[in-house]
Amino acid sequence: MTVERCREWRESLGTYALGHLPAEERAALEAHLEGCADCREELQSLAGVARLMPLADPERFGAAPEPPPLLGNRITATIGAERRVARRRQRRRFGLAWSGAAAAVAATAVLAIFVLGDSGGGSESPAQRVAFHSLPAGMQIDASLEPRSFGTQIEVYVSGVRSGTLCRVFLRGTHGTRLSAGSFRYRWDGDTHAMLSSGLDLSNTRAIGIRVGNHTFVAPVNADLRTDQDRRT
Amino acid sequence: MPGALSDERDVREAYAAHAGELYGFAVRSLGDSGLAEEAVQETFLRAWRAGERFDPQIGSLRTWLFAILRNVVIDLSRARAARPRVGEGGIEPSVEPIDEALLGWQMEEAMRRIGEQHRRILVETYYRARPYAEVAAELGIPEGTVKSRVYYGLRALRVALEEIGYDG
Repeated sequence: MTVERCREWRESLGTYALGHLPAEERAALEAHLEGCADCREELQSLAGVARLMPLADPERFGAAPEPPPLLGNRITATIGAERRVARRRQRRRFGLAWSGAAAAVAATAVLAIFVLGDSGGGSESPAQRVAFHSLPAGMQIDASLEPRSFGTQIEVYVSGVRSGTLCRVFLRGTHGTRLSAGSFRYRWDGDTHAMLSSGLDLSNTRAIGIRVGNHTFVAPVNADLRTDQDRRT
Repeated sequence: MPGALSDERDVREAYAAHAGELYGFAVRSLGDSGLAEEAVQETFLRAWRAGERFDPQIGSLRTWLFAILRNVVIDLSRARAARPRVGEGGIEPSVEPIDEALLGWQMEEAMRRIGEQHRRILVETYYRARPYAEVAAELGIPEGTVKSRVYYGLRALRVALEEIGYDG
């Protein structure tokens, strides 16, 4: 039987599924259902919906509550903070591992650039981790640079510096331009992190420098450019 | 992994797509907008931490987020069990089991999504149990049209339920 021929029966199926069809109409519809697989299938589908209806509260059919406007920002901020903590731990592990290797090649000033994959959880352009070498004994600096829409986000890790020392960070661009990325003061006896930013795109950055007290340490950021030795003044 | 919440951008996109529904269900289940906020935040944090385990071949992101929220709501409800409180702002916490609460919320959400004409007919005839003749007279339409609207209203509900992930 075609759907068109079943149309009148179909329009009774909803009422039947809700248990509202008068007895005489119900008997006629049931007789039709006996011989119509399509209508039986349609009834089964509607009955599935009808079974859920008692679970709903009609008082709640009005507008749904909206989440507070700042909830999304709070969630992404919390996730960002967790990521930074995870990276810090990762970098500390990396720093310890590198210290061992550095001791073995102490006489040679070697600068290494580590281009990170996606291990930090990011799926955007890769962050670059830069390690500064040829540092005074007991001192460690490394930095992580990440491309952002505004330019470059820089996370600097410093240890082994006298508490209170002013640290000024800058980026050097393709034509030698130098842009400040801000400053921070090393305060603690252990180590410290600073989050900084620069308007210079990471792709146009050729070096990162940090002036710690009276000493400036520079490390190249993109491996294929400039020198492979950091400069110390 | 495609579809995984691996960074803040993914989370922002998932939040924009699903936070409204998740929050609606959390408010309905917990009856407290503050707890509901906490539940949604915890849901996205757990999803982000477990992002690599999400497999779009198994189910949609929406289904996965609701599965996480379900667990979060259970955790928060247990934590609150020792200190029962009254729902705020007239929102009463759901007292039925969590899976029934989810089905109830899905039906309520489906009701919000269908047209006003169909919703009204279903409310009057089913939830208020009013005779079809009385509803027809009030609306100035033939009784057969009421019956027809009941049928098309149920069909519209079925489509809306499918849209929001009901697979029963």
